[in-house]
Amino acid sequence: MPRARQQRVELLQGTLDLLILRTLQWGPQHGHGISVAIRSSSQDVLQIDHGSLYPALHRLERQGWVNAEWKTTENKQRAKYYRLTAAGRRQVQTERDRWTRLTEAIARVLDPA
Amino acid sequence: MTWRRPWTLLRRLFLLRAQEDRDLDDELAFHVAEETRLRLERGASPEDAARAAHLAFGSITLAKETTRGVWVSGAMERLLQDLRFGFRIVSSAPVLLLSAVTLVALVIGGNTTVYSIAHAIMSKPAPGVRADNLTTVSWVRDDGFVEPETTYANYLDLAAQSQSLGPMLAYQYVRVALGHENGSYGIWAAAVSTNYFQTLEVPIALGRSFTENESQSATSGLVVVISDRAWREYFASASSAIGAAVIVNGQPATIIGVAAPDFRGTQLAPSVDAWVPFVPFTRAAGGSQPSARGMEDNLPLVGNFVGVLAQLRGDASLAQARAELTTLWERLQTQYALVPQDRSVTILPYAATAGGNSPISTQGTTFLAIFSVITILTLMIVCANVANLLLGRATVRQRELALRQSLGASRTRIVRMLLAEGLVIAVLACVAAYVFARWMSSIVADLVAPMVPPAVLQVITEPDWTVAGYSLTLALASMAFFTLAPAARVWKQPLLPWLKAGEQGVARGRSRLSSGLVVLQLALAVLLITSAGLASRSITLFATTDLGFDSRSILLATVNTGGGAVDQSTSAALLERLRTRLQSVPGIEHVSYSWSGARGSVRTETLRSGAAGESAVAATNYVGPDYLRVYGVTPVSGRELGVEAGRTITPAVVTQQLAERLWPDHPAIGRRLFFGQQREREAEVVGVAPDVLFNGNRPTGNLYVLLPSSSGLRDPGERTLYVRYQGRLDVVAPAIGRAIRTEDPRVPLVRLRTFDAELEADLWPVRALAMLLTTFALMSLIVAILGQYAVVAFDMRRRTREFGVRIALGASSHQILTAVLREGFRLTVLGLVIGFGLSVLTGTGLSRALYGITPTDPLTYGTVLLLLSLVSLTACSVPAVRASRVNPISTLRQE
Repeated sequence: MPRARQQRVELLQGTLDLLILRTLQWGPQHGHGISVAIRSSSQDVLQIDHGSLYPALHRLERQGWVNAEWKTTENKQRAKYYRLTAAGRRQVQTERDRWTRLTEAIARVLDPA
Repeated sequence: MTWRRPWTLLRRLFLLRAQEDRDLDDELAFHVAEETRLRLERGASPEDAARAAHLAFGSITLAKETTRGVWVSGAMERLLQDLRFGFRIVSSAPVLLLSAVTLVALVIGGNTTVYSIAHAIMSKPAPGVRADNLTTVSWVRDDGFVEPETTYANYLDLAAQSQSLGPMLAYQYVRVALGHENGSYGIWAAAVSTNYFQTLEVPIALGRSFTENESQSATSGLVVVISDRAWREYFASASSAIGAAVIVNGQPATIIGVAAPDFRGTQLAPSVDAWVPFVPFTRAAGGSQPSARGMEDNLPLVGNFVGVLAQLRGDASLAQARAELTTLWERLQTQYALVPQDRSVTILPYAATAGGNSPISTQGTTFLAIFSVITILTLMIVCANVANLLLGRATVRQRELALRQSLGASRTRIVRMLLAEGLVIAVLACVAAYVFARWMSSIVADLVAPMVPPAVLQVITEPDWTVAGYSLTLALASMAFFTLAPAARVWKQPLLPWLKAGEQGVARGRSRLSSGLVVLQLALAVLLITSAGLASRSITLFATTDLGFDSRSILLATVNTGGGAVDQSTSAALLERLRTRLQSVPGIEHVSYSWSGARGSVRTETLRSGAAGESAVAATNYVGPDYLRVYGVTPVSGRELGVEAGRTITPAVVTQQLAERLWPDHPAIGRRLFFGQQREREAEVVGVAPDVLFNGNRPTGNLYVLLPSSSGLRDPGERTLYVRYQGRLDVVAPAIGRAIRTEDPRVPLVRLRTFDAELEADLWPVRALAMLLTTFALMSLIVAILGQYAVVAFDMRRRTREFGVRIALGASSHQILTAVLREGFRLTVLGLVIGFGLSVLTGTGLSRALYGITPTDPLTYGTVLLLLSLVSLTACSVPAVRASRVNPISTLRQE
């Protein structure tokens, strides 16, 4: 456990939106599902702070990149599912491009050719 | 698109908010449930799974808070949300809300009323004046005394030469008799420059205004513009009134116009009913050429001086105009010897009361300063009370706030929440204060209605947005005051002690300051109630005093001899003719007249019985024949006064008490009586009258000396005839009017009323004062009692645990009840003692104004004692009963 905690990384400011949008590209998902998906696809490195997950989801909804509807899960529970909108799909690409540019730039700074 | 935003905003705030809140709750609950399910699947025990799921999630409250923060983005939206929240919290404590709102509303409403009346009287133009750039020209003497008038010649020169001032008008009030075929009336008139109505921009409703050439020629006869009231009442609104021939103070004149309905002159008092051009009127009234230079000395004083108003030209400033007028005035001073050398000129913005020597205009700034101090003081007291109320609550809520903070609410969030609560109280209080202020000013208007001219009433009851703004500012300022203190405490409070301790564990001790404040307020309330009580008792006694004669069956008929007489002797002869004529009317027994009216100021003089004899200050009055008979009394010795013309030494009648004062143990008849410190005049006592309060109850009592009216002649003007009648008033009253018209139709009957009505009117100012005192006293009582309640309730809450322990240890609820009551009553007793002390001091200072009772009237003090004890007991019993019902088990379990 302590070892796993040491390996966890704080999310960079502004990257949560990208991760959420990317996760939703695989299909509609509820908040808990999103956090589980991010955690497992990052192999437990990225731990989502729930205090910021839901505000982020509601903000994305307000910006029109995702929309939400209440559906029943396989366990017969009511859950709020988020789904990417067309604008959201375009936004994923924009955010990805920005992320790529950022990481490349940082890499160049760290290892000057 | 823009219209959609406010709508969605409102919808989100009021309709969808509850739904969104529930959805968010569900969403987060689902998250935790799902997490728990996952952990259960991994083999954790149900309890551990739930615990771990909650731990993994972190603070749900914080997540909710932040998510809601996403919903509301605009500042306006956030403010509304805070307000909604504040209202929800505040309305959960209705008693507190009600007390706080009442407190603030009472004080702000009261202050607003006084402020609005002061503002109205001191800065508004008279009703009907439409020009908005008017200024008042006045003159300042070397000693600072402001004179509102100058000579007509000075006015003409200034008006002709000034560049920065536009049209400039002159006016002078004069009491006239206006007669026409239907009757004759005593009214206020103004002799004015012919540009009067144009300069004020007052429209003429019917007919026309004065023309330029009417300012000089008196040959074409006098022209008159009358008021709408005079037109309706004297001419039955007939259009034939224009061109009608009338008599103004004995001079033939023609009515040429009727002024706009609401206009009654440029000042609140007097209310003018007729306007005449200045020069023709003054000349006809016996003055020489008023506009001629060098004639100032020859003109009668009253006929010569005018008040001056002027329009400021659009491009000129007040300072420019003042500088220019000063230059012009100094030039006049060097040019003409008769222009006063010790006066400088100034101009002020026009208001219905500006300029002149009325106390309002000369002491306006002092009054405002005193009033502002009182406002701030009372506001501070009330704020302290509300702060006490809120602080009491804040202590109880300290733990709640600490909890909120530890659950992740930021400090700014909590302070904003507290401010929102204060804002809710302030907004409600502001609305209540405005309603209360409107209600108060209508009450004040009703109260002063019999005393003041209608223009004043109109001015003070008009809605005033400046005043609404004033009350709003006061409410918001007080809100800031009484919420910032608890809010500041939250800012720096350590969380841990509050979370660890029990509910009441850490509350600070009772504040000496707030207890002291309550005692002070109670003392002030006691002082006010006692003063009000003394005043009311005094009035009751005053009104029921035995005057020494039967005041029923006496009528007072005021006439204006100016309608039929031109000088002192014809005026006296006219009055005597009217007396004789009235005496022949059936139902009238005796008729007389006198210098001083039945009320109003009596003239007092120092009297001496001889060179080194006794002296006394007595009221002097010049009276007509049969004066004593009208009062229904007969001389104790000697005779009463008759016409008494042509006697070498003036005969006098003194009252019995005065006779005994001046000639103790000797008969007064035949003695010489000297007037003034230097014994300037003398008279011979011919009769002694019984002790009668001829002019109603006044400080001089019944020390009177009566002299024949032939020894004190006066210019024509208003005189009052005293009529003793028998039979029915509704038969006699019209007969008096007819008899006066028969004798001389030019003489108007100005007023006809009974002696009793006159005495009643005399009491009016004292009654109004008592009523005002009572109102203030009751208001201060409410404020003080609410303050006391706040302190006692706060103290009780703080000690809830102590009461719980005491009850658990066997104290009966009765013991707890008396303990709390005793605490509260200590304040009452202190307040009463200090208040009574202050009352005795004030009462002694005012003892000259109190009639028939001592400043320590036991009945008044007893009533106040009883009233305050009862009210105070009620206020304390609410928290006391609550304390006695404390459940020891639940209190102690909170630990």
